[in-house]
Amino acid sequence: MKLYCMTKVAGILVLIITLIECRKPYDPPAITAVSNYLVVEGVINPGADSTIIRLSRTVNISSKITANPEQGAVLAVESEKNASYPLTENTAGRYVSPGLNLDVNSKYRLRIKTTDNKQYLSDFEPAYITPRIDSIGYNITSVPDTGLQIYVNTHNTNNSTRYYRWSFGETWRFHTKYISSYISNGFSIVLRQPDQGIFYCFASDSSTDVVLGSSARLKDNIIYQSPIVHIPNTSEKIEMEYSILLQQYTLTPGAYAFWTNLKKNTEQLGSIFDAQPSQLKGNIHNVDNPAEPVLGYVSISSVQSKRVFINNNSLPGAWQPIYPYDCEVDSPGTQGPSFLIPQPNNFVPLSVGGGTYSTRACADCTIRGTTKPPPFWK
Amino acid sequence: MRKIYLLSFCLLFVLQIASAQQSNVKLISGNFQQATIAQFVSELESKSNFHFYYDPIQFDSLRVTLQVNDKPLEAVLDMAFKNSDFHYAITPQQQVFLTKGRQIRTELASGFMQATPGNAPVKQTTTVVDYTDERDKKVPEATTENKLYEIGAKTNAIKSGNATLSGYIRDIKSGEAVTGASIYIANTKSGVATDRFGYFTITLQRGRHILNVRGIGMRDTRRQIILYSDGKLNIEMQEQVNTLKEVKISADKVANVRSVELGVTRLDIKNIKQIPTAFGEADVLKVVLTLPGVTSVGEATTGFNVRGGAADENLILLDGATIYNPAHFFGFFAAFNPDIVKDIELYKSSIPEKFGGRLSSVLDITNREGNKKIFTGSAGIGLLTSRLNIEGPIVKDKTSFIFGGRTTYSDWLLSALPEAYKHSSASFYDFNLDISHQINDKNNLYLSSYLSKDKFRLNSDTTYSYSNKSILLKWKHNFNTKLFSLITAGVDRYQYNISSSANVVNSYNLGFDINQSNFKADFTYYASSKHTINFGLSSLLYKVDPGTFEPNGTKSLILPQVIAPEHALENALYLGDKFDVTDNLTISAGVRLNIYNYLGPQTIDNYALNLPKAAVNVLDSTTYSSGKIIKTYMAPDIRISARYLLSDDLSIKAGYNTLHQYIHLLSNSTSISPTDIYKLSDPNIKPEHGDQISLGLFKNAKSNTIELSVEGYYKRIRDYLDYKSGAVLLLNQHIERDVINTQGKAYGVEFLIKKTAGKLNGWMSYTYSRTFLKQDDPNAGELINGGAYYPANYDKPHAFNFTGNYKFSHRYSVSLDVAYSTGRPITLPIAKYQYAGSERVFYSDRNAYRIPDYFRSDFSLNIEGNHKIHQKTHNSWTIGVYNLTGRQNAYSTFFTEQSGVISGYKLSIFASPIPFVNYNIRF
Repeated sequence: MKLYCMTKVAGILVLIITLIECRKPYDPPAITAVSNYLVVEGVINPGADSTIIRLSRTVNISSKITANPEQGAVLAVESEKNASYPLTENTAGRYVSPGLNLDVNSKYRLRIKTTDNKQYLSDFEPAYITPRIDSIGYNITSVPDTGLQIYVNTHNTNNSTRYYRWSFGETWRFHTKYISSYISNGFSIVLRQPDQGIFYCFASDSSTDVVLGSSARLKDNIIYQSPIVHIPNTSEKIEMEYSILLQQYTLTPGAYAFWTNLKKNTEQLGSIFDAQPSQLKGNIHNVDNPAEPVLGYVSISSVQSKRVFINNNSLPGAWQPIYPYDCEVDSPGTQGPSFLIPQPNNFVPLSVGGGTYSTRACADCTIRGTTKPPPFWK
Repeated sequence: MRKIYLLSFCLLFVLQIASAQQSNVKLISGNFQQATIAQFVSELESKSNFHFYYDPIQFDSLRVTLQVNDKPLEAVLDMAFKNSDFHYAITPQQQVFLTKGRQIRTELASGFMQATPGNAPVKQTTTVVDYTDERDKKVPEATTENKLYEIGAKTNAIKSGNATLSGYIRDIKSGEAVTGASIYIANTKSGVATDRFGYFTITLQRGRHILNVRGIGMRDTRRQIILYSDGKLNIEMQEQVNTLKEVKISADKVANVRSVELGVTRLDIKNIKQIPTAFGEADVLKVVLTLPGVTSVGEATTGFNVRGGAADENLILLDGATIYNPAHFFGFFAAFNPDIVKDIELYKSSIPEKFGGRLSSVLDITNREGNKKIFTGSAGIGLLTSRLNIEGPIVKDKTSFIFGGRTTYSDWLLSALPEAYKHSSASFYDFNLDISHQINDKNNLYLSSYLSKDKFRLNSDTTYSYSNKSILLKWKHNFNTKLFSLITAGVDRYQYNISSSANVVNSYNLGFDINQSNFKADFTYYASSKHTINFGLSSLLYKVDPGTFEPNGTKSLILPQVIAPEHALENALYLGDKFDVTDNLTISAGVRLNIYNYLGPQTIDNYALNLPKAAVNVLDSTTYSSGKIIKTYMAPDIRISARYLLSDDLSIKAGYNTLHQYIHLLSNSTSISPTDIYKLSDPNIKPEHGDQISLGLFKNAKSNTIELSVEGYYKRIRDYLDYKSGAVLLLNQHIERDVINTQGKAYGVEFLIKKTAGKLNGWMSYTYSRTFLKQDDPNAGELINGGAYYPANYDKPHAFNFTGNYKFSHRYSVSLDVAYSTGRPITLPIAKYQYAGSERVFYSDRNAYRIPDYFRSDFSLNIEGNHKIHQKTHNSWTIGVYNLTGRQNAYSTFFTEQSGVISGYKLSIFASPIPFVNYNIRF
């Protein structure tokens, strides 16, 4: 029952409904409590791939800083059999180890010692080898929005775990509103060379939502068309060619509960029947002070990846992208095209001699992407 | 009046010795302009030899405008009283008796004295009352105020001692029982009220009494009786057609001060209909929210919280049937048809012994009985719903039915929405069919049935539906005038279903249902004028199917999962006595013994003592066979209240009660959602229990038209269920591992002022109340807020309500409703961090902050059609605006991630003024 506030009310019918529910931005009262809790993110990879753990600290809700890495900590993966595998910090707050190649019949935990001499331990967790991704596909949807619903299929013959998490990276080729054939070289407006093209670009993004799946209620350990991401039909991502690289992880029931809760607490709020937000309990604890909140859940799971490409010519022809900026073509008029010459960061000449021009947002794709194809691009 | 009767008695004796002489007719002339009776009579007396006898009060509305020339007195009086209800009688002794409503006979009944041959037999006329025929009636239908009814076996001298009078009070037009009517004996200051069947019993000193009878929406009346011995009297009352002055909130004007109960509010449907609602249709649950001590978490919920209790701690009864989900359409409508409902009664503190099984309150909704005399009906048209009601006699004066139905056509509304919501649909309906049958004087049968269903789909392929069904048979039997019984048997069912077919592999059907068979026997024994004893038993057999999860379609790989059904038997025996210790002091005390059995077949995990209930602490499990008693919880409920009259219009009352609850609603959302499930107490989940102490001061002013009260309470709640973070409530085989016992305390003080008569009527209340919960069970594993007290979701310290109706004329009235309360507590994020590619938030202690204060005002204009009594249909319109000021009250605030950034939002429901219109028709 989510009906958005409407400003234009046409007729009594719509009026009545508009009014049932409405969402407005909300600034909470100033919350002054100082928070500085340890956040542990990452997966211990028992296979040949590297293990990456990120440590950071929470910041106040009103803080402008978003990343607050925890540096100088000492990290190690420990087994039940007392083996220890140290991690090293390669960039601020990012602790890595090359392929650990662990024995999957043992259980493992993470030990953290921070610079303020506090010891943290995660609970012992079993190690899982993640099954291969069977396929990635898409459905054309009309509900709730017209667009593309990308899904994953997988299965596991080993019934040991039935919980999955996915993360993904998206890359797509797009173009600007207008083609610029001319360029300012600082002295005059000259013809744009082929290697100076700024019409086609590649952009990429990584997943921000928590994507989970479970076959716990099914007869077989099969994941069938589990939704990954929905792309509206007006998105630039699918105006030319789109690629997604999906990473698949397996989870214990406890880890699945943690991620579900994280998703509920930060992504699925705002309906009438919301669950109450709750404090998130992970599997990491301060050894000396169990009451100290430590955020995060450390799982032991290998990663499976798969990349697919989706070309626009396989999608409905009627779909039109909506350009994200308002654009128009201007002509310099009385001031002459020479005013464009010193302003390459504001304006882009379109036609001969700068007779027409537009803003960079409308004619220069490099402000949102790169012209260089990524290495995996076909 | 009495004067006239005495006079006429004397006259009867004088008459027979008087000769039937015919006096010379004296002609009268005169000119009267708007003359009062006194002016009129004195004029006539001065111009003739007649003496007039009359009761000035009866004639206070009479104005005589008349011009006469040389007319005899009879002609003058005929003209003066033409087309009126006034009568005259002239004796040969030139005495004139003026009466209203009936004529006095100035001669003895024919044949009374054989030795008066000169008198021709008097012609009987219908307006002349025969005073001689009343003794043989079985139960007199006492319709007349000025008649003296003789009750019991007549004796020459009235014996000393007490006798019991009982009977029914009914509506003269429809034959329907008048519930909650009061009978008040002025000279002894005693009184009783009728029960839901209109039945009353009162013990009085033998002799002559005047019964003052008052009822909701009824014209006040009185009856005169001579009580010789135990007997019966049925009283018929007239509906209050002229509602200008008489819209009453309480059935009994003196009940506020005189009743022994605290925290009891009764509202009649007329009051409920005056209160503006969002969609214009009267809503019996929304009106409950205007009462002091009742709060809710927000607009879109029909769940309400009474004096700090959770929403599942209210027992909602519709004519005795338990309604588990009283809401339609996500909680925007109550599931009760306002055309069928007669009145509602909310017990917040003094809960009668006959009720039990819930911790906070009882909301007793009573439906009307069908009209026993003629077929009538009504219909209403609103923007979202329409309704129809038909009622009438099956056998005149004996058997009647009432049928009501409502449905929605909201789909047009959803299809008018933006594309994103077009694929939603929502529909509901509800039906009532009640039959009442009078077998004989001593036995009545009542059958009531109810069905409601909701179905909705929100932008997805998941369809939700839920339904309430109940059928109930009641048999009321009067053993004698002092003892009567009510035997009730019925079945209630609540079920819901969620189905999805979007993904062929994952398509499922999820079902939940609760079935309840109930049997009750309630007895009331009027032991003496000082003792009224209630006793009885109640038996409830539960069968709960906590969840069946099945594949939907042949391609679905869903593993069928059925959580084993639960069975339990909840029995109770109760005994209570209302004892009038002195004229001023009344005590009501009772006990209700609850015996709860959790029954097999079932498999129960046994957990290690003093360790958290978790999988690792399971010692073993025991399987019990069908019908085997697995666990018994037995506990008495104590119900005590007392009232002491400080003066005629001032009393002080105190009460203490304890309650137990064996069925729990499992919900981890802020408001009750249609997919919450119920769980029965079992060996691992203790029953909830609580107690409450309350004290109140009650005062009536301005001849009982203004009622004032102050009530304070302190309440404790034990073992209320809350949930661990991330608890899975649906399809959970081991729900005990995910729940935590919570303790609560609530206290508050409620001020209420009601105006029950006059052009302006309504009520205004202010409540200060607090509700705190805490989890300090060391075995819970995890503690909310470290085991400290935290405010409950519905803790709103300050609440103010005004509900008023002003009648400009018989046809136009306006209603205004104003509500203010402190914003409810919420849990806000106090920190943010990067995780899984996005900003995330870390929440504060639970309910550490509050949403902004709540304010809403609603307005409506009620237009009645013309007031001619005899017309085919009566029409009325209600138009109004809900949330007049358009304040965007926060329903909740939440922080959610979009494109990797956390933003705060405020969710408002009914965030702008909502106009509504409703058309009602009665036929």
